[in-house]
Amino acid sequence: MSGAAPKGPRLGLGLSEDVDLLRFEQQARAIEAAPGPAPATPREWIRQNLFSGPVNSLLTLASGVFVLFLAYQILSFVFVSAQWEVVQVGMRGYMIGSFPVDEAWRVWASAYLVIILAGLSYGVSARRLRPSAGQVAVGAAAAAVAGAVVFFTAQTPLVRGLAAGATPAAIAGALVGRLFGRKILRPLIVAWVLVFPAIMIIVRGFVGVPPSEWGGFFFNIIAATVGIVASFPLGLLLALGRRSEMPVIRIASVGFIELFRGVPLVAWLIFSKFVVDLLLPPQMVIPDIIKAFLVMTFFSAAYIGEIVRGGLQGVPAGQYEAARALGLSTTRMMALIVLPQALRSTIPAMISHFISLFKDTSLFVAIEVTDLLAAARRSASSLLYFGTDMETLLFAGLIFWAVAFSMSRWSQRLEVRLGVGRR
Amino acid sequence: MADRSATAGIGEAGDDRQIVANDVVKSFGHFQALKGISMALNKAETVVIVGPSGSGKSTFIRTINRLERHDAGRIFVGGIELTDDIRNIAQIRSEIGMVFQSFNLFPHLTVQQNIALAPRNVRRWPKKKAEEKVMQLLERVGIPEQANKYPAELSGGQQQRVAIARALAMEPKIMLFDEPTSALDPEMIKEVLDVIEELAESGMTMIVVTHEIGFARHVADRVILFDDGLLIEEAPPNRFFEDPQHERTKRFLSQIL
Repeated sequence: MSGAAPKGPRLGLGLSEDVDLLRFEQQARAIEAAPGPAPATPREWIRQNLFSGPVNSLLTLASGVFVLFLAYQILSFVFVSAQWEVVQVGMRGYMIGSFPVDEAWRVWASAYLVIILAGLSYGVSARRLRPSAGQVAVGAAAAAVAGAVVFFTAQTPLVRGLAAGATPAAIAGALVGRLFGRKILRPLIVAWVLVFPAIMIIVRGFVGVPPSEWGGFFFNIIAATVGIVASFPLGLLLALGRRSEMPVIRIASVGFIELFRGVPLVAWLIFSKFVVDLLLPPQMVIPDIIKAFLVMTFFSAAYIGEIVRGGLQGVPAGQYEAARALGLSTTRMMALIVLPQALRSTIPAMISHFISLFKDTSLFVAIEVTDLLAAARRSASSLLYFGTDMETLLFAGLIFWAVAFSMSRWSQRLEVRLGVGRR
Repeated sequence: MADRSATAGIGEAGDDRQIVANDVVKSFGHFQALKGISMALNKAETVVIVGPSGSGKSTFIRTINRLERHDAGRIFVGGIELTDDIRNIAQIRSEIGMVFQSFNLFPHLTVQQNIALAPRNVRRWPKKKAEEKVMQLLERVGIPEQANKYPAELSGGQQQRVAIARALAMEPKIMLFDEPTSALDPEMIKEVLDVIEELAESGMTMIVVTHEIGFARHVADRVILFDDGLLIEEAPPNRFFEDPQHERTKRFLSQIL
């Protein structure tokens, strides 16, 4: 490496690292591009990859036996010994808890609103992202399974019809979205902003159902949405506050973050009754659930504040200087230059946090909310279905997993779209 | 107290001085980066500042648009004194364009968005006017075909030319260049210097901090040597390079020529 200087400010990578990276890339490409030793027949492939020597053969056999055993155990449980009746009977509880049956249409209306919007959004973006046939197939299969589960567990023809209609509604939305494309992007964004208040009005509005009667999966979704939507802006403010030049703001932000992050969420939820009352005039009465939502928002905001702070630290000083030199005000500099870059790099951590917040909504059981998990556990301890913990937990787990996995996939699409790691 | 003779008459009719610095001092902790710099820059003049690393030349031009706050002394830009008053700072910044060693383009915005950002948000130009300005400037720096690319997709030389266009978009009266070619591969230096030279010829008032002696000789109206936080020598290029008055200047020139 004589004489050649590293080229410019390349993230502090010196020449030697550059060369290493290059070599690594070449290797990776070579591995990817390697045609494999001849067009192997399946039999040759198996011999080369699984039985290339005595040790490998032994390992292959041992792990093969284990995998088969595991698969047998799971399949025989799921299809033979499991008592799925408990899920069928408990389904309404899993979905809406003790939400009054006569008012269940409010939840259905909300669900359809979200399903159609999601379909439209997918249609609009799929036009640009072009999902592979495999992705479409997986999505369709997932929708079919979900539809089938709801369909066969539904108790009345009306519910059955509504459940069966969900997938077609989503597909119809996707097709319409595809048809109009980006022309409806703006109205769509507005619709997403308005959908939550709309659901609140549908569910709660006028002589609706009070929060104390919300439950089941519906509750998990509502609580997670409230938590995410409300804590994000608060978290941003905390991150900015923590970097403020004004000591009062900085200390207040640090104090807030450390206080709410340092105590378990369950404890905060139980405390919420008293904590929130401290902040409010004594005449003001709000339902306990709303207080718990508030405290959960504070808890989540503390984490988001730290995630965003990490992102802010990744924005080079030169970006601030360039923005200032152009005469941008501090507000504009943050909004147009710094935060867009900082937030982009925090997407993986942020989605991770949102997923964990979503799962943590099952902790509301501590303040006597019957969420999906609590409903599942309750049905497993009922006299009639005593001892069906496997079935009920498996089912509840599957639903949590499906939502978390969707969030994860969605964030990956978002990363691709925003070019994280590319620019 | 400031020297009356140096600061008298600033901003009055007939005063051609765009920048007046009087005894400017700046410290970073215990390190004194500027130990009392006084100079003036006339309209349409190009001053090149040279000097060894750490001599304070970058720090000095960064005090002129308040990227660094000077501890003592006075700075006037276009007749306005640079103080802690945030309105003065905003006004002065909008009249000074700055180009950085490491370009500092906004990586999340396209070339065209980079250039249009400040005119749209600070000057509040309508979209159409800003777009026309962008294309006009990209023509001027020779890369109109790159308007919709992202900075990372451009070469270093192209990025620096975009950065120059971005600074010019605010229609500044003064341009500051902080080692604009130091981060460039050798084969790209010329394309950037050509743009800066064209600007100088068009009558822009400029301070250029650079190590490119050929450029200084060719384009500067005056050359200034900084060393150890002090202004050592200030002369027209012929005299500066052929007949330097100070021992320090002779030594500096012997090291780099």
